[in-house]
Amino acid sequence: MDKGVAIIAYAQTPFEADANASREIQVLEVAKTALEAAGLKQEDRYTVISATNDYCDGRTISNMRLVEPAAAYKKNESKVEMDGGYAAIYGLMRILSGDHQVALVMGVSQASVYARNIPGIMMLDPTFDRQRWLLNEVSAGALQARAYMNAYGATEEHFAGVAAKNLDNAARNPLAYNKLAGADAAKVLAARKLYEPITELMLAPFCDGACAMVLASGEAAAKADKPVWVKGMGFAHDSYLTERPLEEMGSLELAARSAYDMAGITDPASQIDLAEVHENFAHEELMAYESLGFCGKGQGGSFFDSGATLLGGDLPVNASGGATGANAVCATGLARIIEAAMQIRGKAGEHQVEGVNTAVATGQTGPCAQENVVFVLGGE
Amino acid sequence: MAHTDVAVVGVGYSKHVSKRRDVNIAEMVWEAVSACYEDAGLKPKDVDAICTGNMPAFEGVNIPELWGAGHWGAYGKPLMRITTGGTTGGSVAHGGYYAVSSGLFDTVLCIAFEKQSDGNSTMGLNTVALADAAAMFQQGVDPGFLAAFGGGAVGIAVYQAASYMKRSGCTTEHLDKVSVLCRTNAALNPYSHLKQPGLTPEEVAKTTLMQYPIRFGHVCPATDGACAMLVTTGEKAKKLIDKPAYILSCASCSEEASLMGIAGSGTTNMDPCVQESCKIAAKWAYDLAGIEDPRHEIDVAEPYSPFAHQLLMFYERLLLCDDGEAPAILDSGSMNLEGDLPVCPSGGVISTNAIGASAMERVSEVALQIMGKAGDRQVKKEVHKGVAHGWGGAVNLNVVAVLSDTPRRS
Repeated sequence: MDKGVAIIAYAQTPFEADANASREIQVLEVAKTALEAAGLKQEDRYTVISATNDYCDGRTISNMRLVEPAAAYKKNESKVEMDGGYAAIYGLMRILSGDHQVALVMGVSQASVYARNIPGIMMLDPTFDRQRWLLNEVSAGALQARAYMNAYGATEEHFAGVAAKNLDNAARNPLAYNKLAGADAAKVLAARKLYEPITELMLAPFCDGACAMVLASGEAAAKADKPVWVKGMGFAHDSYLTERPLEEMGSLELAARSAYDMAGITDPASQIDLAEVHENFAHEELMAYESLGFCGKGQGGSFFDSGATLLGGDLPVNASGGATGANAVCATGLARIIEAAMQIRGKAGEHQVEGVNTAVATGQTGPCAQENVVFVLGGE
Repeated sequence: MAHTDVAVVGVGYSKHVSKRRDVNIAEMVWEAVSACYEDAGLKPKDVDAICTGNMPAFEGVNIPELWGAGHWGAYGKPLMRITTGGTTGGSVAHGGYYAVSSGLFDTVLCIAFEKQSDGNSTMGLNTVALADAAAMFQQGVDPGFLAAFGGGAVGIAVYQAASYMKRSGCTTEHLDKVSVLCRTNAALNPYSHLKQPGLTPEEVAKTTLMQYPIRFGHVCPATDGACAMLVTTGEKAKKLIDKPAYILSCASCSEEASLMGIAGSGTTNMDPCVQESCKIAAKWAYDLAGIEDPRHEIDVAEPYSPFAHQLLMFYERLLLCDDGEAPAILDSGSMNLEGDLPVCPSGGVISTNAIGASAMERVSEVALQIMGKAGDRQVKKEVHKGVAHGWGGAVNLNVVAVLSDTPRRS
């Protein structure tokens, strides 16, 4: 990406179990804050891309009624029905086309307004899997965890360790929901079992939350304070969960490859300073280490054991607490990108990691992380 | 910055009928996708990215690409799902345009579909209103207003139609004529749903009145169908086919002030036939495309018109004439296949409405007309430029694409 596109502003609501605000109010809040931070006014020209899901929002055409709160009134507006990371991809495309200079992208979901497992169950193949009523996002995640354990010898202790790290990190993030300062693996393992081997604390909690980000062309970003540059991006679709090896995150690997190629990253473990990973379960973070090339295949567990991904490690992962700390479905991946940008700007507050210049962020859609998006971000 | 020209090099349709009980969603879409690959002379391996969309609540499936897209060649490819209600297909085509013009991808497969017989579209539409109703109950709004939602899509359209007629002088006879124009064009289109060769305005006028001024003969059918379109860079397009159809520009505009509210008024009491967002989107698209005088530069138009009055209304809102002039232009015969500015040569949405696909089928029809591949419904005049439109939400979202036989940039 020659001249490039930069993140010039962002905003997040706190992620909560039952926010005292409608999705419209949450979107209004983040859109307004992000535009103000970017120095933009409603009358300025920008395009708006939202990420919402009709099933999560319980309404057909879920971008309806969001137009005004999203500052999209009489704007060139569209919606992706995927993770918020895809809204960022679409905003980026629109800017790179040369037709637009600035894009406001956002994601929102309110788990408190839908029956927890239903949107995930509605994602299943309606002829077979949905009829059996066995699979949902969590039970599918449990199968994925078991497949990964069987293939590479990762243990429940590894998963619990990852979750404890993220819960502890989340305690430093004022916007996170699941916080547990000083959490340890024993505590995670002792939590209520959902589906073997997944305990409640290994699962990304279902939250209400919204986030927004302003992307700008190189030209439009010139005036911005501390722009964070998109160095590379990629996204990919994997096969349906019953048609692929669940111990791999194939689409994450492909997306990372494309993002790294664009960013000129050949040795991710040494060139990347920090990662924000969208993990719906603790075990997915270990799998992501591998797919993102931080370690070899099957070495996610030992890479975690090395301590590299802790807040004070060589390659901190999910310093914000990740999705384990806060997960509002369509906002979660976008929140990872925003967190990575905050780290590069040195504005992450208590969970700030020193010296972050290059960071990677991921987002996912579909059961067992079927579709993934990867962004590589950099400072000056 | 990458400023790449974008061209349509292939179009494919599935069969369009009321009920496809012989195939599931993935299989129905594959019909369109395989026809599209064949039309362009490309294979799945030639595709760099995929854009898809439908209206998920109409079939009762959430993100059907998760189990369907592997069958369309998406495995291991970047896939983006774009859904915006009635405008979905247009928004998907726009996604394809931006994916290529960004310079990130060379060849992109756009897929839009709806298999309404799998679910209940009216139930799907009701959730648009019920979500509002639930919110309004919480605010203590009198449930009496719910009566306004009783008519579903038709209930919304009649207010708009009556208002348009009042403003433009359009009569019910004009509505009958629009149905004749579209349904007889549809009879020449192998992929249309309602084909009525030899239909007369008198026959339309005798169909059952649903709610004044809309009769059964003025309303779209509910269709199962899919549309696929391959777009690629201008450079590759020239190598692939003799006459690519370039997408010069895309624009959308949202304006919820005109959203359908209590008793058919907009939430800010804006008349639902004003459709200013359509004019704005059209202006943006024409400006980007370098079109100064759309009335003379546009050779064919595909306005999104599930209801008869909308063909005339959107013809005006697409800046192809002044407000209120469209009925007289219809009378002049200019909108016919052999006219000066043929409108809906495909038969339009009033003849075929696989909802998620409909707004893309406007783009693909204009592309086929430019490529000279529209078969029996090919318009008589030479087509250099065309405009494709989509409309959705609850009367508040508009998408516009401008296509041409010559590229925008190089």
